[in-house]
Amino acid sequence: MAPQQAALVNLSPAELSFLRSSLAQTPPIRLDVTKGPRDFRSMRAEYDVLPGANGSARIALEDGTEALVGVKAEVERSPQRPSLGAHGEDVDMGDEDVDESTGKGQNGWVEMSVEVPGFREDDSLPVFLASMLKESLLASGELKDRLYINARFHWKLYVDVLLLSPALSYPLALLSMTTHLALLTTDLPALKSEKDEDPLFDDDWDAAVPLYPKTAGKTTTDKPPVIILAMAVGPNIIFDPCKEELAVADAVLAVACTNTSSSSTGARIVSIRTIDPPSHLTPPGIPNSMNSATGGTAPTSSADALTQRELLASSGVWTPPRGGMKRNLISQVTKMVVESGGIAEEVISALAAIEVG
Amino acid sequence: MNTDRRRNNAPPGGTSAPVFARTIREPGYLQSLRPRRSRGPNELRRIFLQPSIIPSASGSAYLEIPTSSTPSTSTLVPPTSSLKITASVQGPKPLPRSAPFSPSLLLTTTVKFAPFATRNRRGYIRDTTERDLGVHLETALRGVIIGERWPKSGVEVVVTILEGDEDGWWGDSASEGSANGSGWGLLNVLAGCITVASAAITDAGIDCVDVITGGVAAITRNPDSRDQKDLARLLDPCPAEHKEIVAACAVAYLASRDEITEIWMKGDIGADPDALIEGATHAAVGSLAVVKDVLLEALQAKFQGQLEVKESGVKRKAGDVDMTG
Amino acid sequence: MSLPSLALPGQLLGPTDKYLPGPGTHIHEQQIYASIAGPVISSPSKSHSSSTTTSSKSKLVPLLSISRPPTTTTDPGILGTGSGGGAPLLPAIDDTILGRITRLGARFATCEILVIGDTVCREAFQGQIRREDIRATEKDKIKIEESFRVGDLIRGVVISLGDQSNYYVATDRNEFGVVMARSEEGRLMYPVSWREFRDPVSGRAEGRKAAKPF
Repeated sequence: MAPQQAALVNLSPAELSFLRSSLAQTPPIRLDVTKGPRDFRSMRAEYDVLPGANGSARIALEDGTEALVGVKAEVERSPQRPSLGAHGEDVDMGDEDVDESTGKGQNGWVEMSVEVPGFREDDSLPVFLASMLKESLLASGELKDRLYINARFHWKLYVDVLLLSPALSYPLALLSMTTHLALLTTDLPALKSEKDEDPLFDDDWDAAVPLYPKTAGKTTTDKPPVIILAMAVGPNIIFDPCKEELAVADAVLAVACTNTSSSSTGARIVSIRTIDPPSHLTPPGIPNSMNSATGGTAPTSSADALTQRELLASSGVWTPPRGGMKRNLISQVTKMVVESGGIAEEVISALAAIEVG
Repeated sequence: MNTDRRRNNAPPGGTSAPVFARTIREPGYLQSLRPRRSRGPNELRRIFLQPSIIPSASGSAYLEIPTSSTPSTSTLVPPTSSLKITASVQGPKPLPRSAPFSPSLLLTTTVKFAPFATRNRRGYIRDTTERDLGVHLETALRGVIIGERWPKSGVEVVVTILEGDEDGWWGDSASEGSANGSGWGLLNVLAGCITVASAAITDAGIDCVDVITGGVAAITRNPDSRDQKDLARLLDPCPAEHKEIVAACAVAYLASRDEITEIWMKGDIGADPDALIEGATHAAVGSLAVVKDVLLEALQAKFQGQLEVKESGVKRKAGDVDMTG
Repeated sequence: MSLPSLALPGQLLGPTDKYLPGPGTHIHEQQIYASIAGPVISSPSKSHSSSTTTSSKSKLVPLLSISRPPTTTTDPGILGTGSGGGAPLLPAIDDTILGRITRLGARFATCEILVIGDTVCREAFQGQIRREDIRATEKDKIKIEESFRVGDLIRGVVISLGDQSNYYVATDRNEFGVVMARSEEGRLMYPVSWREFRDPVSGRAEGRKAAKPF
């Protein structure tokens, strides 16, 4: 297997140590000193860029990473399965037409593919990205129900995510924001046929219905999820880390959230995953005291070297972090993401503003 | 996707579980087969663990979580599935010639379902689910292994799932994906993989900061009650026993450091995932007790001779420490 | 606090001001924890020079280590004692190794490392003997083809973890060099001097960097 982080940073142990200590102090000093721990990198975004797709978006970050997402919907025949409880369902047909699509959607109706240059499609990075994006998309269950047309047909939604630039930083957050914007602007042709007829659609594109209905009156409808990347360095939590910052992370957390259905503020979490930070693979530094070239004495045996290395822990010589993430840090991250006026709300409203403006 | 050209493969459509005539004719009968959770909400299933089962590997372990429900006599279909996983550790061994220099141990994890592990047959080539599980397992283990002690080498953790937990009850399969999200069984499988891989790595003698174990917790909705808010938190859920799982979470937990190296949480969690994470860590601590017992037992057997010689010496030394302290 | 006789990874062993961490242990938040499973051994530390540790540590504190399972009891055969016996072994600097020469180049010879210390490796490691590491004297006059032949068994010492694929091995001491060699006719030869092996039948001598027999 190729190393998972293709864009493994080439920082020396001294640079890593410096970066880590400046990120771990309060308040943290980030690589881009103008940014606070909660600030995202600036980006350029546009939507409806692909005329051949039902919805599309392109986002370019300031460091040059750029992602393009196209959403295409196709009508597909639903396979008829022998259904076990069929007899029972026929009886209570009467009160069912309130919303007959509820619970009919299937996970297989959404297909997601992620292409990252330099990776084969079955490499672990694209697979991981695709499954995280898909999982958060399907978590609420409302999207797939909207793909239901009738008992015999459904929409099949293809979400194709393309990273146009090499993966300079961990691209999960960027891909998810682009997917969010693309899905938000996806329109499906309006259905003209009724019930279980073969589906017939309105050819007027202006009549098309959005996949994610716009806010209708007071009730807020659900939005596609966004994934927010947070990393922990010592006691600090830093959002949207860049590649170099990830190389000194103790732990990285990806939190997928969407807006709450009940209130207009805050957000709810649909999926959380930890991501393996590249910091585990960084080379450890060698202190002057162990380096005969700088006046120290090289350890005489490997056991001796090990003892000296362990005693270094707090001396500032770079040692790759061990262990995971403290539990209180995790709850702190999730709180900062979902709270009213938190990161998730900020990101979702910012992306919504792109479409409006 | 690439296909397997080296073998004669079964038809690509997969196989479906047999549907027996009686279950279709009497809908009520089908529901009577539905398994129910007989354990308490905080009670785990029993765990069987055996380290050192593969002589040619540098470390290995086998984990089994037997099915909790008693087999019914009226139907051939087992009510719930059980979990059977083997893990083997190869290495540390030299890296392939093409690999660049690495200052630390390169960890490779392979998770593979046996073709017969699930109700629907799986192929020989790893699919996306298996690769995804592999990444999860790698994340869980990478934080635990002290890689810098094994420069310029690689270790391979190969996990084979002989029988996997199902995503739901077989009777519900017609309306697959009716609940929000799916793949709940995978969380159990991942937690099992983490536990068994941890035992195998300890068996192989690779430096770790702790014995890591996996645990799962879920929030389920009670189907009998009308109230949408009637949710219950359960440890170690068996997906077949619950009609509707709202959210679930698997963690890899380091008990002595109170740290988590891997979380996989999905479903409609809401605003506060802490309770779910805490439940999952409780489940992990539960399986840790088993892992520790088993490992200590194996260790005692291994060092039997060596210990007997040392025994007197160790005792005297302990006495000395007491005197000075 | 008394030490446990057996430890599992993550088990607390003692504070850092009372013990020093040895092989099989690690430090986390000023405490020494076990990092492999095995019996805990506390040995009086060798007198650490004060340059390597802080002056407060100069008083002798016992070194805690966890021993790996004895490698002699485990043979890698299929009927062995089960897995997990053989301590995973990697060549480290200053390890004495036995290896077989696999290739001769103009500037170096390549060998595969078969035995490290007293332990047979599960898998051979690639090693390289550079021309200037073959012997300690007259380094500029060394010729590879007068020192090794493909198939020779050599004893050497690991001097560096080397580059991406090779460990660097040296034979620049008397006791290091070729221990077993076959002549061109394929007969086992015996060493006659530090630079010559002789065929017992034909009596012909071949050049080798011979290891001093014990």
